[in-house]
Amino acid sequence: MGQNYLASLSHFIPELLACLTMFGLILIEATYKEEEKGRGFLFLAAGIGLVSVLVFSFASLGKEPVAIFTNSLIIDSFSSLMKMVMVLGTIGAVYLASTSNDIEGNLKPEFIIMATGVLVGGMLLSSANNMLVLFIGIETLSILSYVLASLKKGDERSSEAGLKYSLYGGMSSGIMLFGMSHIFGVLGSINFTEMAVVLSTVDTTQIAILLPSFLFFFAGIGYKIACVPFHMWAPDVYEGSPLPVTAFFSIVPKVAGLAALIRVSQTFFANPGALNIGWVGVLSIVAALTMTVGNVSAIGQRSVKRMLAYSSISHAGMMLMGVLVISELGTRSVIFYSVTYLFMTLAAFYVVSFVSDKYGNDHFERFTGLAFRYPLMAIALCIVMFSLAGIPPFSGFVAKFHIFTALLAKKYYVLAVIAGINSVVSLYYYLKIVRLMMLKDPESEEAISGFNIFNQGAVVALTIPVVVLGLFWEKLIVLADGAKVFLQ
Amino acid sequence: MQASSNLLNWILWTPFIGVIGVLLIPKSKENLIRWWALVNTAITFVLTLVLYSKFDTSVPGMQEAFNVKIPWISSFNIFYNLGVDGISLPMIILTGLLFMLCILSSWTVTKQIKGYFALFLFLQTTVFGVFFALDFFLFYVYWEVMLIPMFFLIGIWGGENREYAAVKFFLYTFFGSILMLVGMVALYYASGKGVDSFSILALQGGRFSDLTIELFGTTLSFSKLFFIFLFIGFAIKVPVFPFHTWLPHAHVQAPTAVSVILAGVLLKMGTYGFLRIAFPIFPGASVHFADAIAWLGLINVIYGAFCAMAQTDVKKLVAYSSVSHMGFVMLGLAAMTVTGMNGAVLQMFNHGTSTAMMFLLIGILYERSHHRWIVRPDGSKGFGGLYTQLPKFTIIFIIAMFASMGLPGLSGFISEALIFLGIYEKYTTITVLALIGLLLGAAYLLWMFKRMFFGDVIEECKSYTDMNAREIAFMVPLCVAVVVFGIYPSPVLNVMRASVGKLVSMLATY
Repeated sequence: MGQNYLASLSHFIPELLACLTMFGLILIEATYKEEEKGRGFLFLAAGIGLVSVLVFSFASLGKEPVAIFTNSLIIDSFSSLMKMVMVLGTIGAVYLASTSNDIEGNLKPEFIIMATGVLVGGMLLSSANNMLVLFIGIETLSILSYVLASLKKGDERSSEAGLKYSLYGGMSSGIMLFGMSHIFGVLGSINFTEMAVVLSTVDTTQIAILLPSFLFFFAGIGYKIACVPFHMWAPDVYEGSPLPVTAFFSIVPKVAGLAALIRVSQTFFANPGALNIGWVGVLSIVAALTMTVGNVSAIGQRSVKRMLAYSSISHAGMMLMGVLVISELGTRSVIFYSVTYLFMTLAAFYVVSFVSDKYGNDHFERFTGLAFRYPLMAIALCIVMFSLAGIPPFSGFVAKFHIFTALLAKKYYVLAVIAGINSVVSLYYYLKIVRLMMLKDPESEEAISGFNIFNQGAVVALTIPVVVLGLFWEKLIVLADGAKVFLQ
Repeated sequence: MQASSNLLNWILWTPFIGVIGVLLIPKSKENLIRWWALVNTAITFVLTLVLYSKFDTSVPGMQEAFNVKIPWISSFNIFYNLGVDGISLPMIILTGLLFMLCILSSWTVTKQIKGYFALFLFLQTTVFGVFFALDFFLFYVYWEVMLIPMFFLIGIWGGENREYAAVKFFLYTFFGSILMLVGMVALYYASGKGVDSFSILALQGGRFSDLTIELFGTTLSFSKLFFIFLFIGFAIKVPVFPFHTWLPHAHVQAPTAVSVILAGVLLKMGTYGFLRIAFPIFPGASVHFADAIAWLGLINVIYGAFCAMAQTDVKKLVAYSSVSHMGFVMLGLAAMTVTGMNGAVLQMFNHGTSTAMMFLLIGILYERSHHRWIVRPDGSKGFGGLYTQLPKFTIIFIIAMFASMGLPGLSGFISEALIFLGIYEKYTTITVLALIGLLLGAAYLLWMFKRMFFGDVIEECKSYTDMNAREIAFMVPLCVAVVVFGIYPSPVLNVMRASVGKLVSMLATY
C-alpha cells in the first residue's frame, strides 16, 4: 500500500484544491480596495473552488482505499463522503454569508477565507491515520475557528465568544496532547495502523495507562463535537458569533470530529476487551448526557439561534450513538444522519438569518405569523422542524431510524429509549416555533427583504432533499453502505 | 382481478388527489373548494362501499384479491404493502363515511378554507394508510404523519385554548409512537432481518415467545417488554387510563369536524393497533397481560363516566363519555373470546357512528349559541327548553343519546351486550362493576339532556333556529346507521367474524 509522495499527491487533490482556493481568495481579496470588499466576484471564486473540491471528492468515491504520505492519511469512501458533507456545509455557509447582514461587508472575505481553512482542517481530520495529522487537523480547524467566532469586531459578545472558544480550545488541546503522549509511550508509535497492531498485545498494566490516556485523547475530539461535558463553550460561541458562522460551526467541525472519532473507534476499539468496554461505556454516558443536556437547555431559550445551537448539541449526541456501536451499521447511520442534518440545519439557519437581518434579533416572537406573510418559507421551516424532531415522512426520521437500528443491533435498549424520550422533548421546542409561525396572526405586515426570490429558492432547494430523503432513502443508504472505514 | 387489486390504492390516494386539487384551486373560489372536497370524499366513500361489496366474508385474515405489495426500501425489506381483512373493513367504511359527512358539516368554516380542506383530506389519506398498512414501517409512517394535519387542524381552527391542546396532543402521541418505533426496530432484529421482518402478518403467531433480553444483569422476556412498549403506544391513542389526559383538551378545543374524526376514527386506531399488531405478534404476552388490560378497561369505563358526570361543558362531557366507551372496547379485547372480540370491533364501529352524531350535534348547537355550557361558571343555565325551540334537533339528539347509552334497538346495545357476554365467564367481577358504568352512562346523559332540553326556555335560546337542510343531510345517514345496525347488525358482524375468529383461535393456544 506504500505510495511515494508524488503518487500520493494524486489522491490528495481535494485537499490541495481547498488550500488553493484559500490562497487564491487571499490574493483576490488583496486586490480589492477597502470599500470594495465583500463584493460578488470573491463569492463566485469561492464557489468555483469549493464546487471543484466537491467534484474531486465525489470522483474518489467508490475507488479502492489508499494510504498516502507514508500511511499517515487514508483516503477511503468514508472520508470522501464526510468531506463532501463538509464541503456542502461550507458552500451553504458561504452563500449565507454573502446575503447576511450579520457579518460586515468588509469582513466577508475574511469569513470565506477562514471557512475554507477550517474546511481543510476538517478534511485532514476525516482521513487522519496518524496522531500528529489528527492533531494538526484539529488545530487547523480550531485556530481559524477562534478568529471566526470573534468576527463581529465591535461586538462584545463576539469577542467574548472568541476568547472563550480559544481558552477552552487551548485547554482541551493540551489535555489531548497529554493523552497522546502517554499513548505513544505505551504503544511506541503514532501511526494508527501500527498502534492497532501493538494494541492487541498489551497487558493489564498497560491497559490501566491506556484507558485514561484515551479519555484525555477523547477530550480533544469531544470538544470539537461539543458533547457534554465539553460543551460549555458552545452556546456562548454560537450566540456570540455572526449567524453564518454559527451555521458553519454547527456543521463542519462536528462532522469532522465525528469522522475522526469513527476512525479512531473502529481502529482501536473494535475488538472486545477491557478497552472496548471502557470506551463504549464512556461514549454511551457522554451520548446520553449530550442529548439530554442539549435538549433540556434548548427548551428555555428565547433566541432561535441559541435554540438551534443547543439542539445541535443534542443532535451530536444522537450521532455519537452511531459512533459508539462501533459497527458498519453505526457508520452508515452517522453518514446518513450527517447528510440529512446538513440540509436541515442549513435550511433552518437560512430562514433564521433572513428574519434576524430584518429585525436585528432572532427572538421567537419575530417568527409570529410568518405563514401569513411568507407561506413558502414558513412551510419550509415547519418541514425542517418536524424533520429535526424525527417525524416521518421527513429525512430526520429516517436518520433516527437508522441510529435505532444501529443501537438495537447491539441490543443497547436503554440508550434507544433515552434517545426516544429525547426526541419527544425536542419536539416540544421545535413545535414552539411552528406554533408561532402557523397558528398566530402576524404582528406586522412589513416585508422582509431577505426573502427575495433567490433566497427563497435557496431555502426551498435545501428543503427538497429533507423531504425526498425521507421517502426514497434507499440510494443514499446504499451509498453510505459502500463507504466503509478502511482498516488495514 | 387486476381492477379490484388496485382498489386499495384508489381508496388510499383519492383523498390525496383531492389535496392536490384543493391546492390548485385559487383561494378566492371558496365554494369550489368545498364542493371539490365533498365530491372527493363522496367518491372515496363509494369506493369503500365497492370494497365492501367485493369483500369475501368467508375468508379469515387478509383478502388476497386486494393485496398490494411493492418493494419500497429493498435493503431493509420494507414494502409498500396494503391489505384488508374483516377487522379493518368496518373501520375503513366508517372512515369513508365520517370524512364525507364532516366535509358537509365543515361548510360553515370560514377561516383559511383552502388550508383547512387540504389538511382534512390529507388526514383522510393517512387514516386509510394506517388501516391498510401491512408493513410495520409503513404503518408507523402513516401513524406518525397523521399527527401533522391533526396538529394544524386543532391548532389553527380550534377554540380559545387551541395551541395548548394541539401541542399536548402532539407530544403525547409522539411519546407513544417513539416507544413503538423502538419496539419495531427490536422486532426487526428479533425476526432475523429476513424478507418479512417488517411484515405485520409474518411477525404474527408468537415467534418471539421464547426470546429473552439482558438488561443490567436481569433477564426479561422479550415479548413481555416489547408488548408493554407497543401497549403504551396504542394505549395513548385509545386513550387508556392513565394516558387519557390529552383527550379532553384536544376534543374541546378542536373544531367540530376534527372532534368527530378524532373520536370517531382516530381513537379506534389505538384499539385497531392492539388487534392488528400487539395481540397477534405477542400472543403469549397479551394473554399474560389480559387481566391488566381488563382492569384498565374497567377503570376507563367507571372513571370516564364519573368525569363525564362532573362536566359543565357539554363537549367535554361527550369527550369523557368516549373514554368510558373505549373502556368497553378494551374489556372486549381483554376477553379474548369470539363473542367479546366481535363485540369490541362492533363497538369500535358503533361508537364511531354514535359519538360522531353527538359531536356533530354539539357543533350544530354551538353555531347557534357560541358557547357549550350546560351550567355556566357563574351558576346560571347555559341552555334550557331546547325541546320546544328545536324539535328536529331534539329528535336526532335523542337518537344519538340513546345509541350512545346502549338502549336496546339502537346500535350501542348490541356491541355492549356482546362484550359483556364475552367477558362474563372470565371476569365476572369486572363485568358486574362495568355494568355500573353502563348505569352511570345513562345517568350523565339523561341528566345532561334534562338540563339542556327540558325546563323553561331561557331568553337566549329563543333566537335559535332549527336545523337546516344541510345539517339534516349529514345527520340522517348516521341516524340510519345507528338504527339499522341496532336492529340488524349482521352486515358488520358477518364481515368481521372470520377474521376475529382467526385471531381468537390463535390467542386461545396460549
